[in-house]
Amino acid sequence: MLTTLIRRELLDNLMTFRFAAAVFIILLLVVANTVVLIKDYEQRLASHHAAVKMHQRQLQEKKTYSAGTEKLVVDRTPNPLSIFNVGFDKQLGNEVGISHTFVPSLWDAGMHGSDNPFMDMFASIDIVFIFKVILSLLALIFAYDTLAGEYERGTLRLVLTSHVRRGHILLAKYISAMLCLLVPLLMSLLLSVILLTTTTFISLNTDDFLRIGGIIFTTVVYLSVFYLIGMLISVVTRRTSTALMLSMFVWGFLVLVYPNMILAVVSRPEAPQERSASAFNQIEQMWEEFDRDRKHFLATDALPGEDWHFKIMGSGWYGAYLWGNPGRLSYTYKSKMEVDTLSEKAEPRIPHAQNYFDFLGTEVVGTADRTWFIRKSALEDIFIQPANVERLYLKLSPVGLYDAATQAWAGTDLLGVRDFFDAARRHRQRVIDYFYDEEIFRSRQWFSSDKGAADWSNLPQFSFQRVDVNTNAKRALPDVCLLFMINVALFIVIFLIFIKSEV
Amino acid sequence: MWHITKRELYDNLNSLRFALATVLLLGLMLTNAIVHLREHPKRVQNYHNADARHQNRLANHAEDSLYKLAEKGPGYLDKKPSDLRFCAEGGETFLPSNVEGGFGRWGKGGEPRLESFWILAYHSATPDLHNVRPNVTKVDWGFIIGYVLSLIALLFTFDSISHEREQGTLRLMFANSIPRHTVLIGKFLGALITINIPFTLAVLVNLLVISTSSDVHLGAEAWGRLGFIFFITLLYTSLFLALGLLVSARVQRSAVSLVILLLVWVTFVVFMPSTLVSIAGRSTPPKSALGFSERSAQLEEELGNEYYALRYDPDKSLTRIQILQVAGEYVIKDAAQQERLHEERLKQRISQVRRARTITQISPVTIFQHLLEAFAGTGFERHLQFLENVKSYAQQYREFIADTDQADPESLHISGVREGMSQKPVPPEAIPKFEDKLSLSKDFNTAAMELLLLTLFVVVLLSGAYLAFVRVEI
Repeated sequence: MLTTLIRRELLDNLMTFRFAAAVFIILLLVVANTVVLIKDYEQRLASHHAAVKMHQRQLQEKKTYSAGTEKLVVDRTPNPLSIFNVGFDKQLGNEVGISHTFVPSLWDAGMHGSDNPFMDMFASIDIVFIFKVILSLLALIFAYDTLAGEYERGTLRLVLTSHVRRGHILLAKYISAMLCLLVPLLMSLLLSVILLTTTTFISLNTDDFLRIGGIIFTTVVYLSVFYLIGMLISVVTRRTSTALMLSMFVWGFLVLVYPNMILAVVSRPEAPQERSASAFNQIEQMWEEFDRDRKHFLATDALPGEDWHFKIMGSGWYGAYLWGNPGRLSYTYKSKMEVDTLSEKAEPRIPHAQNYFDFLGTEVVGTADRTWFIRKSALEDIFIQPANVERLYLKLSPVGLYDAATQAWAGTDLLGVRDFFDAARRHRQRVIDYFYDEEIFRSRQWFSSDKGAADWSNLPQFSFQRVDVNTNAKRALPDVCLLFMINVALFIVIFLIFIKSEV
Repeated sequence: MWHITKRELYDNLNSLRFALATVLLLGLMLTNAIVHLREHPKRVQNYHNADARHQNRLANHAEDSLYKLAEKGPGYLDKKPSDLRFCAEGGETFLPSNVEGGFGRWGKGGEPRLESFWILAYHSATPDLHNVRPNVTKVDWGFIIGYVLSLIALLFTFDSISHEREQGTLRLMFANSIPRHTVLIGKFLGALITINIPFTLAVLVNLLVISTSSDVHLGAEAWGRLGFIFFITLLYTSLFLALGLLVSARVQRSAVSLVILLLVWVTFVVFMPSTLVSIAGRSTPPKSALGFSERSAQLEEELGNEYYALRYDPDKSLTRIQILQVAGEYVIKDAAQQERLHEERLKQRISQVRRARTITQISPVTIFQHLLEAFAGTGFERHLQFLENVKSYAQQYREFIADTDQADPESLHISGVREGMSQKPVPPEAIPKFEDKLSLSKDFNTAAMELLLLTLFVVVLLSGAYLAFVRVEI
């Protein structure tokens, strides 16, 4: 019986104008935008490669290690799955320095300049945006007259006179409509995946395909939510015109109005000022203690005088400073020296300088690591927590849930971008270990290149691998589950109403 | 005709869509007002603070000497925030709010001591790289009217003719020998008035909240601009009403007409602007940022070497006056060269943006948003006006320096070096002040083209609706 019902519904739906329109519009929009998005990605990738080359070149130009640590920069590759949901991929910094003098975080990142910053004025769309707007609209267009139309035409009465369970009717309608909607969705996604795989510069591995599968699954669940909303409206109002109007307004509210309005209405949750001030004070105190130790070392070493550069000046230059930015809770001590020729008078001072720099290097790394603990939790409280609360408000609508879930799958959510900074921190540790192993802090090349320049060729290389698909799935899981539960809840409500309704 | 209009009005007033539209529009406009009241006073305060800071800076330099004024320049020149920003955000967050007119690029020791002169450096707006908050569009009038009101307009007219045809009342109406154009115009006017009732209500509530607040002040010119904006909204709504009537007349069933209208709406309103921009943006990318700073440094170095060659030429020995002249020329030439480089880059960027903006005008929503921006005094064209003001002020400033120098008989009249210019302190009141002025007439001129385009759209759609309706078989 169920299959007969499904077949009937399917034939009903397939022969309609709306089905043809749905197929046409989804294919057109998805394919057109995929082409555009791929070109945009190509540009970002080219810009990324140029930046990496430039950073390499700038590093090679530095002859001493202390000057070079400033130029140790790692770059974040643009995420190919940002075509599906751009998330934070374009928004947050994509290059960060990994000097030993501070622990890098999201708030220390920079962005290699875009060609025309004015173009940021124009909003860009991704494939998930198309689905968010169009699929929900199409689901509602298919759903508004499923039950209300049958009430009006009187055919529902006829169907119910034969031995058909009401639940089966609902299920049949649901399954056939979902099949009709899935056809254009899957076709268009297939085309865009084909376009993606045939471009030469995008390489997708199995993990990426699994992620795309996750996005497809989430989209199907999202589609189902809106179809069930439409069905609910259809079962409650018994006239198609009312159902249509109500569905359109519900769509307008959920898709257009709610996401943009809720954050304006709800005032921004701010962390208290004292948190930031107290954290910065703690960090400042630690660095000042370090500075005292440093000066103490200089005062008590074998050489008289307290110049940190030990008057080892030939031709070249040097500089040192202790500097902090309260807004981002960053603080650090930087010193660098770049001398190319030394006079012989400076020779006896060299070993003392080397001792000092060895001590300095270890102390700076230690202080940076200690202040990092304070900084990390403070940054979480001040910046991340309020943002998460705002994201929670957005997730009260299925549109927000869908957006968050697809971002997690694509790896362009906040956690995905922060993975890069975790990797940057691990790389910094590797570089520091390399420095310790090769005794670079106490080497002559730290401050002078008269007896040979700094050798950058053996430095550990940075390569960023995105997290594996299981982590993406874990991050997306809560939102997908919530969407799924909304589905189940809606279906139960529709079922209960339909069972009790008079035909 | 008025009979039909009245009938349409009563029909619509009693419907569900009218109630829902009222609720939605009221809610949105109220939010818009509240958010504006929250943010605007801070913006104005920031602007005044920045302005005061820069005046102080200028006064300090003026006390020092004319050379200091000439070297350091007018400092940051700020863009005045618009009172009507709640009407159109215009992408202001992506546009820089000031232009730097003072830039310490280098200093050379030696005899004479030289400092680089100021140039107009057009920095881009610093993107907030640490903004981890979710992305949302700002709810301004452009959003409310451009997206929500247009959707509501479609929902009011999608079934105006097809529904009557389905019910059979259209046949009855024509049996009464009512000319077809009367019916059409009557329906159009009826729908227009029906939509404007909740809209006007919402706008009045919005303006009431904003104008009665003590923090924000709307002047007479602002009200004039708001009047223009209201008229433009009427035009824009008519466009969508006409579209609804057109499709409704051609199509037999209401459901089909709704699907067509929604899909057209979604394509033209939601997707076209961004897709077209992405296509336009790929045409000619300007020279990348990496190349610019390298080119700038290269030019600086070349000119510096030239100067050193002239100044320390072993064959000639220069008199003091000649040394000062060579040095002064170098400083001025360097500043002019760098400023030209910045100007070129700015021109390239502007032309690319202009191209993108023109292409996106296929979509009526973009035309509408550009018109709103022109009258609200925000957005890209306003920014260009600001840049014009800045350029003319820069010229004014330089002329002032030159005149003050000429007026001093003791000065050597060699600009570029401290010793060559007037040594007397300058009274701060004499320095010309930067005023970022907007004029309604200029805004109207920039908007005229787009206004014409919008009117053209409306006329085409209305005639299309008439032609479709005239040939309809009942």
